Amino acid sequence: MKRFAFVGLGIVVGFIAALGLLPAAHGANDVSAYRQLDLFSDAFERVRANYVRPVDDSELINAAIEGMVSNLDPHSSYMDAKAFADMQIQTKGSFGGIGIQVTMENGLVKIISPIDNTPASKAGLKAGDYIAAINGVAVQGLNLDGAIDKMRGPEGSKITLTILRTTDKSTARKPFDVTLTRAVVAVDEVTWHKEGDVGYIRMPGFNENTASGLENAVRDLKRQIGPGLKGYILDLRNNPGGLLDQAVQVSDDMLNSGEVVSTRGRHPEDTQRYDAHAGDITDGKPVVVLVNGGTASASEIVAGALQDHRRATILGMTSFGKGSVQTIIPLGEGGGALRLTTARYYTPSGHSIQAEGIVPDIAVAEGDEDDIPRIARPSEADLPGHLQNADATHRTLPTIIRPPTSGTKPADFQLSYALDFLHGKVTAPPVKSAQAN
Amino acid sequence: MTVVGAMKGLSLVAVGALAGFGLAVAATHFAYGANIPGLRTESELNRFGLAFERVRDNYLSQPEDRQLVENAIGGMLSNLDAHSSYFDPQTFAAMETKAAGAYGGIGVVISLKDGDVKVVSVVPSTPAFRGDVEVGDELVAIDGVAMHGHSLDDVSSRMRGSVGTDVKLTLARAKLKNPIDISLTREAIEVERLTWHREGDVGYIKIVAFSDRTDPDLRKAVADLQRQIGPSLKGFVVDLRNNGGGVLQASIDVADDFLDSGEIVSVRGRSAQDMERYDAHPGDITGGKPLVVLINGGTASASEIVAGALQDHHRATILGSLSFGKGSVQTVMPLDNGAGGALHMTTARYYTPSGRSIQVTGIVPDVFVAGGPGAPEYEREAELPHHLEAEGPPAKPLGTPIEPAPGHAYVDFQLSMALSYLHKSLAVRDSEPSHA
Repeated sequence: MKRFAFVGLGIVVGFIAALGLLPAAHGANDVSAYRQLDLFSDAFERVRANYVRPVDDSELINAAIEGMVSNLDPHSSYMDAKAFADMQIQTKGSFGGIGIQVTMENGLVKIISPIDNTPASKAGLKAGDYIAAINGVAVQGLNLDGAIDKMRGPEGSKITLTILRTTDKSTARKPFDVTLTRAVVAVDEVTWHKEGDVGYIRMPGFNENTASGLENAVRDLKRQIGPGLKGYILDLRNNPGGLLDQAVQVSDDMLNSGEVVSTRGRHPEDTQRYDAHAGDITDGKPVVVLVNGGTASASEIVAGALQDHRRATILGMTSFGKGSVQTIIPLGEGGGALRLTTARYYTPSGHSIQAEGIVPDIAVAEGDEDDIPRIARPSEADLPGHLQNADATHRTLPTIIRPPTSGTKPADFQLSYALDFLHGKVTAPPVKSAQAN
Repeated sequence: MTVVGAMKGLSLVAVGALAGFGLAVAATHFAYGANIPGLRTESELNRFGLAFERVRDNYLSQPEDRQLVENAIGGMLSNLDAHSSYFDPQTFAAMETKAAGAYGGIGVVISLKDGDVKVVSVVPSTPAFRGDVEVGDELVAIDGVAMHGHSLDDVSSRMRGSVGTDVKLTLARAKLKNPIDISLTREAIEVERLTWHREGDVGYIKIVAFSDRTDPDLRKAVADLQRQIGPSLKGFVVDLRNNGGGVLQASIDVADDFLDSGEIVSVRGRSAQDMERYDAHPGDITGGKPLVVLINGGTASASEIVAGALQDHHRATILGSLSFGKGSVQTVMPLDNGAGGALHMTTARYYTPSGRSIQVTGIVPDVFVAGGPGAPEYEREAELPHHLEAEGPPAKPLGTPIEPAPGHAYVDFQLSMALSYLHKSLAVRDSEPSHA
């Protein structure tokens, strides 16, 4: 759903669950910490006592934590209890609900689109419908989060929506009720289809179901296409990332051995190396990975690993360039959680793609890149306060292949170029810089 | 637009130099780590302590304790409302020395729209002017810190600093594909002084900001205009358009210059006893001549105090468009005697003599005159994120503006209408101010 975008560029390494008691274990440098905390509690007390109206303590503390964390770098932030719960749904990849994307308009909830094969689409809800009431309670006065909360619930439970349909003249703007049974609604599912003799797989994010989604996709495409299968296209365009372990698993699925990625934190002992296991579910068939400026983080781990091992040809435009890892650190019951940058990751060749991105082997532009101003589609290097990179590869971008300016342009030029490549109609330019050492 | 005085050294305390108010706060020392059950405040502070520890121990690189806490206090303050912010120790120290002329800026006026910070004017012969900052540039970051969503006061305070220090601006410009970085060296920026001239038999006075020099300058201006124009002097136009405010006392002195008696403004804090009332003293420096005050969406805070007082006392006719609507007062509270910086926090609201708050509603002009073609659109208090809500009954409706007739070109339509009004040649539909 739209509002989940906040986990956008995320790699969640895992939850630091064990929260010891406060400062006990610290040594001499705590004098400084205590002095700073004194300063903070002084500020907190003054705000509580003197602000023009009384303010909720937890609201103050939430804002303070957010201020402390979000100034560290563009990917560190604080999630309050609500945002934290939403993030868990996002990483889980599914929730109990009815399957609509919504926005708020004129004080009512408006359906942007029903998701295919969900209770909402089966019940005939349409894009543009307004939800006036949920279980008989008017939506007016609720905010979007509140309305979404009411629509979610356990699988199998019932919900009645009062719908106002303004797009259909025959209903004469008379509200009507629809009762739906909630089901499990998947978020960011892997989808696939055959493109002739090529298997196309679209991966919109990395949640708990992504690697198994890929495995299903490959199995099904093999069955559909049969022995003539030429290869696969893995579409990671505009995939903002997600769970690290899923990125490792997806890479491992197409690799037989060697390192996938390593992560390095503040202390040498924090270094973790993830290796591939024997077995390539695609049986070594050619793979093209599609990337663009919206390919970030976990997606870049996959593209980087497959590129360094020369297992796949990376096609498209330079990726976003997020080479850092965030850890989710809960702050106790109902206290929300920190989303804190704790490590950088390195591709198998030992390089960081931070602020550099994955440079494609074949640079193919979609042609619409310049339609959106740079400010609206920044790369990591454009983000104020981004982490610097001392371990970049400095690969040079090959000459960019652009869609024809005259005649008919394919609906998806990068995809059609990838198909041509797999069919041997076009070749990759020679690789200039040295890769895996 | 909230002309925030990025270049105005003196308007720092954007509206409210309410010295002394709320300053005596007993520092409550929190026993860190002691989790007393039932005390929610304690447990909330513990939650902060926990977050602090986690960041210190786990962040990618060792953070500075001091930086973490300053950012936390900054986050806490700027989330309160659009005008509360935190001054870190360097900024606060620089503010303290501003009287000695060591306080610097770069010379831009900024506004907020949908959380984006835009440059609305560049003051000639300032670092920004020489560094080719352009009107319309979006200020993406200052010293690498993204500015989207920050309060105007916070953005301004980041641009200010000691004279001779550098500040790096990251600007997005419509005609450039990528943001550009510009490094500027801060200089002492002169607060624009009050200016005046005669418009025929009318005295015109423009007040750009309220500082300690405003009241003496105003007296000088009135005396000079009386001398220049002589006995035929019809009245005065006081131009408060795009005046974003300044020192509270200066606005009280200015209102007092035109009033003989009665309340000018009252300031009320959170509890009933936190109330201060400011009254006028006998003596009207204009001898009771007709007065028109010009306002627009950039007329804010201290300017709105003057317009509100003169409107409620029927002393002036307020002409122009709806004002900004900032009805709050900020107090500067040093932490740890300034070594810990200072809180710049909203502590009170102010009320016009009739008891109305102009927060969000703004000053509704007695004669609504449009800015004319090319007049900028202003972002008003109501559009700022986390603004304080309005109080009291809604203001009377604005009605339809007087617009320039098609085909007529005016250099300054509102001023032309003010002059017509003083010459009684402007038919005014609603000339009777309705405030008691």
